[in-house]
Amino acid sequence: MKISLKINGVLHEVEVEPRKLLVHLLRDLGYKSVKVGCDTATCGVCTVLLNGRPVKSCNLLAVQTDGAEIMTVEHNEMESLRVSFKKHHASQCGYCTSAMLTIAYYLKKTAKTREEIVEGLSGVLCRCTGYQNIIEAI
Amino acid sequence: MKYVGKPTPRVEDDVILRGRATYVDDIEPPGVLYAGFVRSPYPHARVIKVDLTDVVVAKGVVAVFSSEPPFALGGKVRYQGEAVAMVLARDRYLLQDALEKAVVEYEPLPPVLDMYEAMKPGAPLVDESLGTNVVYDKTYEGGDAALRGAVVIEGRLSVRRVIPSAMEPRGVVAVYDGNMLTIWTSTQVPFDVKKEVASALNLPLSSVRVIQPYVGGAFGSKVLVYPEEIYVAAAAYRLTTAVKWTATRSEDFKTTTHGRAMDLEYKVGVSKDGRVETIEGVIYADAGAYYWGEGLVDTAARMLTGPYDVKYARVRAVAVLTNKTPLGAYRGAGRPEATFFIERIMDRVADELGLDPVEVRKKNLIKQLPHTNPFGITYDTGNYIATFEKALEKLGYFKLKKWAEEEWEKNKRMIGVGFSTYVEITTFGHETVIMRVERDGSVTVYTALAPHGQGLATALAQIVAEELEIPMERVRVVWGDTAHVPDGVGTMGSRSITAGGSAAILAVRQMKSKLAEAAAEVLKCQPEYKEGVFHCGGKSVELRDVVKHMYKKRIQPIVEVTYRAEATFPFGVHIAVVEIDPETGFVKPLIYKSYDDVGVVVNPLLAAGQIHGGALQGISQALYEEAIYDNAGNLITQNLALYPLPTAVEAPVFEVHFAEEFHPSKHPTGTKGVGEIAAIAAPPAVVNAVEDAVRKTSRARFCKTPITPEEIYNAIWKIAPPLC
Repeated sequence: MKISLKINGVLHEVEVEPRKLLVHLLRDLGYKSVKVGCDTATCGVCTVLLNGRPVKSCNLLAVQTDGAEIMTVEHNEMESLRVSFKKHHASQCGYCTSAMLTIAYYLKKTAKTREEIVEGLSGVLCRCTGYQNIIEAI
Repeated sequence: MKYVGKPTPRVEDDVILRGRATYVDDIEPPGVLYAGFVRSPYPHARVIKVDLTDVVVAKGVVAVFSSEPPFALGGKVRYQGEAVAMVLARDRYLLQDALEKAVVEYEPLPPVLDMYEAMKPGAPLVDESLGTNVVYDKTYEGGDAALRGAVVIEGRLSVRRVIPSAMEPRGVVAVYDGNMLTIWTSTQVPFDVKKEVASALNLPLSSVRVIQPYVGGAFGSKVLVYPEEIYVAAAAYRLTTAVKWTATRSEDFKTTTHGRAMDLEYKVGVSKDGRVETIEGVIYADAGAYYWGEGLVDTAARMLTGPYDVKYARVRAVAVLTNKTPLGAYRGAGRPEATFFIERIMDRVADELGLDPVEVRKKNLIKQLPHTNPFGITYDTGNYIATFEKALEKLGYFKLKKWAEEEWEKNKRMIGVGFSTYVEITTFGHETVIMRVERDGSVTVYTALAPHGQGLATALAQIVAEELEIPMERVRVVWGDTAHVPDGVGTMGSRSITAGGSAAILAVRQMKSKLAEAAAEVLKCQPEYKEGVFHCGGKSVELRDVVKHMYKKRIQPIVEVTYRAEATFPFGVHIAVVEIDPETGFVKPLIYKSYDDVGVVVNPLLAAGQIHGGALQGISQALYEEAIYDNAGNLITQNLALYPLPTAVEAPVFEVHFAEEFHPSKHPTGTKGVGEIAAIAAPPAVVNAVEDAVRKTSRARFCKTPITPEEIYNAIWKIAPPLC
């Protein structure tokens, strides 16, 4: 099927198999910051923003995103969060970091309290940091 | 220029935070074929026939491999998930379609899943060639056997099997171009992969290059060379092509080594005032289907006496094969088990004799360092009693205890406060650094270390910049490529900065004298070195001009240093504060505090990060995680939906301290290692805290990890309080 979607503001028109997952389409298009860490939509390392809201891109078929706007960590608007993540040592192995930054970008706009940030982050697993520095970076 | 000891953000982050870090699954060589494995659903079976007829003709399939060497696939399978055939296809989706077309005929054999059953005569044999499932049995003994405590306490403790669960599943890419075999793999040991692949394929070492790209966590689980790394390399070599394999999560959980899985049966002799004089016992390790985890049970045995001055100890270390995923290293690898055992024993001694656990520790802690434990391990430096007392004060242990009491009296909140203390053995083996001063006076450092999140490129740059007195921005650290450095061990065992950093310091020192010789020729006098400039006789010359002179004289501004590092021993105290919901038995970790003497701390920001992450793994081991098999040998907890990793909601607030009065190791860096201490100290501290909270209503002693909400509920409401 032919779909069109905007990724980080750039329009893409692509031919995809109906069964292809969004995460695989994004990675095939070169957005390698979007990772795969499980096969049960649990770990959240494939998180991207779909029309401004965080979604697990392994849990969507690419064809469901026809006409959508997608944002990944390659987007330039992440810069101030990058500075904060670096300062707070909020990344270790880095495998969940793209997803954490993406969620952080969303939570910066929506979360009002520390509890909301913690709750918001709980959809992405991190095995390295113990989460504290990520929470503080946000 | 002072860098060592300063909290310094990581240079690695400039790559990672832009999404530019390349992990193995991000590597797509032209024409790459995707590899997948047909895996056994049985934990123990004879493979009668592997029928790949439909696979070979399936859309997109390029090749299949089963039993011909070096593919030792087939024969007998010993655990669920063991590979019996390998398929290569042009597309990942088509690969999955093709794998489903494989027809394998098995003759299921009775599995043996419990290690105590496995030790009984007549039990099914995991490896018939051994004639027994007891694959390892060694007794360690030392000290004065005549000493016997007045009180004898016996018991059993258990650290259950867990799954390391790095966020990046294992994977490997291999390219053979007709001349050179290049392998990218998610590993902690690129040099071991190089050696084993070369040996398996009978290739010269010079024809095999292993590159460790960014690695998404490992925690000891990527410290082995796995069969898939050999199979993928062999397939690429045979077909002169590019092959890639990426584990799915359930594939990873079944085939990547599990951790812990040890029990201790013990008998201690104690004086009436709480001095533990003797320890005797047996440690049993459930080694799984292959004895890949060599040394784990030995480490647990030889560190069993911990930081205490035990006069006599005799410990049998036993490893038993079962039809489960092989056991391997997991953050601490033997030390968390030893520490859990001895700390639980100390708490029990206090409990049985009606003594304060703090006083029992003070009575038993080693008074004078260096100290050789009953098994002949010599702890190097430290002042355990002073550090212990300072830690309790600094961490506010007694204040927290009082606060928890008040919360119970006033608000009926079940808050528990627990502590643990430990001594850890870190560091072994050689490590190599090659250092080159570039033509502009900047420095490139090649290391054989294999970091995967620790920030070692930053820490090494700090060390080199400080030693060479140049700005850190002018030092670039290159790691993870066997083409750059002849040999090395890799990153494991909290050894990297102590071994690799010391090699770097020695390299700088050699480089300085090499540069000084050249500078003397330029300046015609014996120069002094300061911050990148040589001075003497009122003249000076900068590094770049010294290097220019060296090249003119055909002298390379390159040094290579190999450093062999002996063991060193961090010590510390950790505190956990937890709250139990009495209605459900669920535990919320509230606060986690640490106070460690790890010698010199190169980068407190990164060191604290190691404590946070290690502690949450230890907390999770104590409260949530267990790899569970059913009676048929199916791994029930086979993916992240069924195996509970802690999220941000479960994480406590961390407070990290490093001892002001620290005791450096004797290595050039003065460091002792920081990567594993929190994973070692956390489980006993957390179990101690849970026990403390439960005791508001009921007397219970917990003797295993994890402690489940059900067990806690049953203890609180006196339905079945464990007392072991």
